[in-house]
Amino acid sequence: MEKSYVLSKEDFPRFLERLKQFGTVYAPTKVSEQSFAFKAVEREEEIAFEALRTILPPKKFLYPQRETLFSYDESGNITEPEVNQPLVIFGAHPCDLSGMKVLDDIFTAPPGDSLYIERRKHILVVGQSCIPDKYCFCESMGTDSVKDGYDLFLTDIEDHFFVEVATPKAAELFNECDFLIQASEPYKQAFKDFWHNRKDLFSNRFETSNLPALLDLEANHPVWEELGQKCLSCGNCTFVCPTCYCFDIVEIANFNGSGQRGREWDSCQFHGFAKVAGNFNFRPGPVDRLKFWYRHKLHGFQDAYEFPTCVGCGRCTVSCPAEIDDIVGVVVRLEGKDDRKSIYAKEPVL
Amino acid sequence: MKTPNPYIPTKALLRTIFKMSEDNYLFQFTVEPGTIGRCMPGQFLEVWIPGVGECPISVCSDSMDGLIELCVHRTGRVTDALFKMEEGDWLGLRGPYGTGYPVEKMEGNNIILVAGGLGIAPIRSLLQYILHRRERFGDLIIAYGMRHSLDLLFRHEMTSLYSRNDMHLFIGAEEVDFPEIPPIHAQLGRVTDMLRMAQFDGTYLAAVCGPPVMYPFVIRELKEGGITENNIFLSLERHMKCAIGKCGHCFVGGVYACKEGPVFPLEDLRFIPEVVECVNC
Repeated sequence: MEKSYVLSKEDFPRFLERLKQFGTVYAPTKVSEQSFAFKAVEREEEIAFEALRTILPPKKFLYPQRETLFSYDESGNITEPEVNQPLVIFGAHPCDLSGMKVLDDIFTAPPGDSLYIERRKHILVVGQSCIPDKYCFCESMGTDSVKDGYDLFLTDIEDHFFVEVATPKAAELFNECDFLIQASEPYKQAFKDFWHNRKDLFSNRFETSNLPALLDLEANHPVWEELGQKCLSCGNCTFVCPTCYCFDIVEIANFNGSGQRGREWDSCQFHGFAKVAGNFNFRPGPVDRLKFWYRHKLHGFQDAYEFPTCVGCGRCTVSCPAEIDDIVGVVVRLEGKDDRKSIYAKEPVL
Repeated sequence: MKTPNPYIPTKALLRTIFKMSEDNYLFQFTVEPGTIGRCMPGQFLEVWIPGVGECPISVCSDSMDGLIELCVHRTGRVTDALFKMEEGDWLGLRGPYGTGYPVEKMEGNNIILVAGGLGIAPIRSLLQYILHRRERFGDLIIAYGMRHSLDLLFRHEMTSLYSRNDMHLFIGAEEVDFPEIPPIHAQLGRVTDMLRMAQFDGTYLAAVCGPPVMYPFVIRELKEGGITENNIFLSLERHMKCAIGKCGHCFVGGVYACKEGPVFPLEDLRFIPEVVECVNC
């Protein structure tokens, strides 16, 4: 690897300054006792390097919760929004990077979504290594490491970061800087050790290598009814998901005849999502909708995209108020290996 | 090169409005040449009314002359606003989207067209396509059912179709008012009763469009008549919001109805959850 460097953690402020030359830097920050969120940062101290999963994934930068598709004036003249604000996403973990790749595939599939494509061009992505907790199952989904989808990737090797410079965009930004030093052998070994050892740290995992067949085979398994009956249809699981991309198109009209066409995140868990004219609803109950979501995530709509759309980040598991998004638990049950303890089971209080 | 914004519609001029029944109007539009391409039978357009919103509507004619015809049922916010528009007003159209009926595969074959209610709209575009090239198709049967004989759409066209000797037309309504003006031989019965009257066999290809509840019964009749699943083409009703395979609203099993459909051969739908209840009766 010619393009691998090391960055001493002491030099991180200088590295951050260089990132800021590209655009506003968004990084995980601590927002409460237990939660982290991507926010604009100026200084190193603001960054929560230990953050594992932010409340919302970085999809909010690629595909904002609300955005204008186009505006029109009273005579019907149309103007397109400007989406060329340069920004840096710092601290995206492999699951987040995999999620961004899923979004890339969906929004660039012909006909491409011009807003997404344009916005994406102006984003620099800095990945960062992480140590899994009990909710992470990216290893089971095959997204525990990524070979592309980032401009730079930082692997934490004690008092240094091992830095992979992956794109010309990143190489140009870090041209002629003395804090990135060509990685020598001991650092390369430390890097290899990190990824070697990390594999053993996953406690939340399933074994099957044929998820689509499992989902097809167990389409009528009792687990769907059981979980669906508890579902509140709140949509949390979809909003926090790095790959959930469904949206609603809305009209924001003014009194003078001008207005905007916009879009907002939508959720397949909402009652009206699959409703059509004449009040027919193809997924009327929470059981139908929850099953649909699980199928989309794990079966992956193989026909449309040929990849599963779950990246194993564990956000849905953590944020589900009804405690039914234990994806690994569900897969294990579908496999007929019911002996696993629910991830929601509380530790005994002494 | 910059990707064009796929959500921006083309300005369309509302030329004429025909009132076909209380809640079903036929709207004719023209657009600048080169903006909206040739619409094939079974494809749909997104109709945008500024200040109100957008909804997907099937094209209902074989639009070779640049005139776009949409048969619309007043059922929601957008269609309600459309019904309040006047000739000379403008609105937005984008499309056409979807794959439509497999007209090339249908050529050289006997064809049975099955429509329920407003499902006659896309079926009419296919019918016109066939009639414009009548010599390329074999025998032709149309079975068209509706709730009430007053709901009959394209009344004058249906009347003239009765006089053609190169096709068989069966029109049925669950309730029939007499006398009809102009006289239409709407028989008492459902679309399935019309299918039982029609003489068809396994050599026919079927194109079906109607409300979802109709499908299981129609499919049973067609199969009993000997038509195999690969020769039954269904247009599925879904609410396509973006129409370009992004927003997720029209997902049917593993595919987007707006891109891969809305017309599917029945054999492709067999193992898809959601439609199976509807389809595999």
